[in-house]
Amino acid sequence: MCNTYIPISMKIERIINEDPDKTLRTYDLSFVNKEDEIKFKYMPGQFCEFSILGKGESPFGIASSPTEEGIIKFTISRTGSVTQEIHYLQEGDIVGIRGPLGNWYPDEKLRGNDTVIIGGGFAFTTLRSMIVYMLDHRDEYGKITVIYGARSPEFFIFKDELKEWEAREDITLHLTIDKPYPGWDKLIGFVPAVTKEVGLDPSAYVLVCGPPIMIKYTLPVLSEIGFEDSKIFTSLERRMKCGIGKCGRCGIGSKYICIDGPVFSLQELKKIPESF
Amino acid sequence: MIKIKHEQLPALIDFLSEKYQVYAPVQYGKETAFKKISSASEINKSKYNTSLNPKEIFFPQSEVMFTYDKEGIKTPLPKDKPIAVWGLKTCDTKSIRILDEVFSNAYQMPEKEMYKDPYWIARYKNCLLFSSACNEPLSTCFCNWFDSGPFDKTGSDVYVIDTGNEYIMEGISDSGKAFLENYKAVEQVTPEDQTKIDELKKKAKSYMQPPVELAGLKDKLQDIWDDPIWDEVSAKCINCGACAYICPTCHCFDVSDEGKEDKGKRVRLWDCCMFQLFTKEASGHNPRELSRNRVRQRVMHKYNYFVENYHEFLCTGCGRCVQVCPVNLDIRRVIQKILDYDKAK
Repeated sequence: MCNTYIPISMKIERIINEDPDKTLRTYDLSFVNKEDEIKFKYMPGQFCEFSILGKGESPFGIASSPTEEGIIKFTISRTGSVTQEIHYLQEGDIVGIRGPLGNWYPDEKLRGNDTVIIGGGFAFTTLRSMIVYMLDHRDEYGKITVIYGARSPEFFIFKDELKEWEAREDITLHLTIDKPYPGWDKLIGFVPAVTKEVGLDPSAYVLVCGPPIMIKYTLPVLSEIGFEDSKIFTSLERRMKCGIGKCGRCGIGSKYICIDGPVFSLQELKKIPESF
Repeated sequence: MIKIKHEQLPALIDFLSEKYQVYAPVQYGKETAFKKISSASEINKSKYNTSLNPKEIFFPQSEVMFTYDKEGIKTPLPKDKPIAVWGLKTCDTKSIRILDEVFSNAYQMPEKEMYKDPYWIARYKNCLLFSSACNEPLSTCFCNWFDSGPFDKTGSDVYVIDTGNEYIMEGISDSGKAFLENYKAVEQVTPEDQTKIDELKKKAKSYMQPPVELAGLKDKLQDIWDDPIWDEVSAKCINCGACAYICPTCHCFDVSDEGKEDKGKRVRLWDCCMFQLFTKEASGHNPRELSRNRVRQRVMHKYNYFVENYHEFLCTGCGRCVQVCPVNLDIRRVIQKILDYDKAK
């Protein structure tokens, strides 16, 4: 019988420091066993429990795209006891993951349509997965517009890729930071304000992911521009344990984030008590 | 229907033990609880429900999910004989069936293997539940609120009525019927026995207060989610969690690692939404910081959220939480208060 509680063995191939404080690190993991890799089919927006035996596990959105074969990527902020332990890990170490868990961004709806992607801080991980996935199937999607905000220029993650995307014609990138910074010639201002100003077409689908405060103030702006609730999607987080709808921890209303989410439309969220 | 004399119970337990691990109510310190027995002499024959709930038979309070060492991960899935449980009351049988819905399925994706709980299934598979009619419900019992009652057969494999000197048994499920067919040392039930059953039923009913109509409860709760009534409802709760640990249907658990990097185990332990740490995130943010929100969560989960997903209440009216609550926060009064509450006033 399938046992979703047992972690899959993964090897850390590469660790990338994303910010000067070294609180944000990206981990590229490869599968130790080929058969695990074959079984591991996922879509952008899904998450895994990242497990260190003896230390515990925590849930993280998958930052790699299914089109990047052989590698599963997570960007992890050092915050609690498990993430602290993850930050002690070295390249070559063996860790565990459980997943892929949860639902994903509504890819089937995005195909053939324009998409606006709005992200803040290091919650850009699953959005990065979606963007890479879309760029790898570029003809199947309409216009792609990205708004991405960070405290200051050093706190953007995936900086090299952001540069590459900026140079491309088939994706529009609006990078913004909270306050002026020496040498910064792009946008300045919080994500909700930038969202209002860049002239979005409300016929598009929107994916929003970021700190709760950013989501809280961005959603009304989107409604004001004229986006329908059914076309706005966001990804939620809660403390989590089992990941398969049993342990009761990540409940919001009658839903569990681990199996009904993490991706919800604003239309769904408005019916769920406790979601914000 | 067939019957056996009380003196014949040891023979029945011995017969059961050939094919099953038999669990039954036993004296357990100051408590009564369902434990594995090897002979009928260990059985506590109290006419009341056990003080501890029976969920631990299939979902132990602490359970090793796997052990690990340098060689890798080992999963100690139970591989013993199937489980037979003697002495369950109807409310407890129902609670086990409800938990099976949670652990063996996932409400929207029952076909998906990855959502099944292998630990529960390993114990639950091929189990045989002997479910006893309850001759003398306690003042805390309210099973009759849930389309049930002390003589409800629902969920039984074998339904048992204790007439005082005999056990009358009826096979309800296929496995229950098959068991009784294989068990030869029985007598047939007489018309006098039927009269006895009717009397017992009548008497049991007389012990219970009339049921409260719960048809509107789910919607009412939806309606008052954001209402100040929760301050009043939760005012005396001290968030001790006794209600959740004693509850036969509460199934929240924590997962925790014990050991070091090279040797240890991952265990799961019962947990409780009454505790502040239950939802506290690493960042410090806690979506259920306030006691009122945690009390609301427990009530909503049992009588609204769970109903939404599984179309039944996550409560069987066993009354254990009413018995153990140290501040006498009676869930029946909470429900009544909510039903009577007029938001407009």
